[in-house]
Amino acid sequence: MDRSRRDFLREIGRVTAGAPVALAAPAMAAAPAAKDAGKPQPHWAMVVDVGKCIGCQACTIACIMENATPENSFRTFVSTYEVASGATVNAYMLPRLCNHCDDPPCTPVCPVGATYKQADGIVVVDADRCVACGYCVQSCPYDARFINRETRAADKCTFCSHRVEAGLLPACVETCVGGSRIFGDLADPNSEVSKIAKTRRAEIRVLKPEEGTNPNVFYLGLDPRFEGRVDGAPTLWRPSEPRA
Amino acid sequence: MTSTVTELLYVARDPAWAPWAVTYFFLIGLSYGALALSLPGIVFGATRWRNASRMALLGALITGLAAPVALLSDLGNPGRFLNFYLHPQASSWMSWGAFFLPVYVGLLLLYAWAALAPEMRARIDEGGVFAPARRLLGGDERPALVKIFGLLALAGAMLVALYTGAEVMVARARPLWGTSLLPFQFVATAFAGAAGMTIVLNRLFGDDAVATESLLNRALATSLVFVAAIGALWFAIALLLPTSIESQALAQVANSSVWRLNALWLGLAVAIPFVIAFAKPVGSGWFTGLLALNAAWMFRWTIFIGGQSIPKTGAGWYSHPLELGPEGLLGVIGTAGLVLFIAIALTSLLGWPREASSDAADAARPSSVLRA
Repeated sequence: MDRSRRDFLREIGRVTAGAPVALAAPAMAAAPAAKDAGKPQPHWAMVVDVGKCIGCQACTIACIMENATPENSFRTFVSTYEVASGATVNAYMLPRLCNHCDDPPCTPVCPVGATYKQADGIVVVDADRCVACGYCVQSCPYDARFINRETRAADKCTFCSHRVEAGLLPACVETCVGGSRIFGDLADPNSEVSKIAKTRRAEIRVLKPEEGTNPNVFYLGLDPRFEGRVDGAPTLWRPSEPRA
Repeated sequence: MTSTVTELLYVARDPAWAPWAVTYFFLIGLSYGALALSLPGIVFGATRWRNASRMALLGALITGLAAPVALLSDLGNPGRFLNFYLHPQASSWMSWGAFFLPVYVGLLLLYAWAALAPEMRARIDEGGVFAPARRLLGGDERPALVKIFGLLALAGAMLVALYTGAEVMVARARPLWGTSLLPFQFVATAFAGAAGMTIVLNRLFGDDAVATESLLNRALATSLVFVAAIGALWFAIALLLPTSIESQALAQVANSSVWRLNALWLGLAVAIPFVIAFAKPVGSGWFTGLLALNAAWMFRWTIFIGGQSIPKTGAGWYSHPLELGPEGLLGVIGTAGLVLFIAIALTSLLGWPREASSDAADAARPSSVLRA
């Protein structure tokens, strides 16, 4: 078990006892604050250490299995690149997911209030209210959303909030072979993510900082060439394309 | 040392807005543009606009009634459309649009009824399947009511033009959409398309007088000047202001041969009807009308379908071949069929085209006189 996972499990009892995470509806999201007045409200975040990612896609598969996403739909995946400098060729892996922004562009555009940011920082979709208009999909700068063909609603990473509520780690973090994904509570100064934020502040980057979305997914070792739209030769394989 | 990046693995996202969205923005643009063209002859009493405005009102009705069907079809979950009204969101332009659209269509229907009631009353005795409808809807001339409903419908049209432009403009995650010029581009191309549609309708259902076609071709040429001017301004901003969102958009597509072809096509779609409408305003109606409709459609197709082919984070392009089913070609053809049905129903109700009147016949084409 990697260090981040140990830390998380050690702290999870305190977290879940102190501030249960609301999941289903806006009304429920407001409830914990009233019920647990005085208790610290978690602010969930993820740090992705790019240097530890080996591109095994175990997180991709774990997410699919956990969240039953339809074929060719992904809440998270690891985009993979070949970077050639002269005779030297390296692989570069960049895990991508919803950034659970503090200023999410996807939520204010929703015409029915089906997507919103919970008090714990997680951006969720109420699939029972969503009309699948796709407006949030268009507004996300990270291409992190899609229309789920089976639920006929907007879909995205929820930091596995149902697992977090139960005191578990998100499926992608749980399965990460290299310990690249570190999940925790930014409001807790003793959490691993808080410690990283404090001790490695200069190394932390986010995707598309110019968008001003204030993401809660932070990257260590992020090459600036991959912060925004990647300027490179197109992909070799796209799962959405018809199979030959 | 320079390095090269090759994307080995990425996930292609399907377009969240299907050709239904293109169809909706096309039809609603034609409708509010045509409504504006209907005002001079019907509301403000400009005699030389009389026939052109009647044709424009017919076009506004046809497209205004068909557009909401396309919009509803673009929803992934159309059965939940009531949520727009149960959970309105002030921060969402789409939410505002859910209220603006029915207001506009409702006012358009009232305006059309007030303007056309005398024509229906005049045909009450003709019988046929539409006789009961003519008896129900026919009525006296009420110029004051026509003016009130016409101006209210114009206000509704302006709200629709505002929301459809702003709705897309605020999605700044796509630099191609994020330009503040987009609402103006939508309006200018909508007017061009509406003028084109009215020219075609005039050929089909109007008095076919050369004066009407000349008038509409001049309106078309004027609107195409605005389309070209806004396009030129967009390119100027993109080239002169490197930090602008227009510059980002241009940088994303500048190296693509497909996008260069798109730009050429759009340029020709604007230039050719302008030249024809300007140089030969009479006798060119089918060409200028259909080419203007093509320009309005192409602009929206390029913005929506082309815009969604640009990945926000990945390299290269998403490939979105046109689906043949309801989400693609069948949807477009089906909507065209709906437009045709509404056109036939409305013109049958109104009894259009009528025989050329004596004053119109003087200025009508030889073919029109022969037909009459």
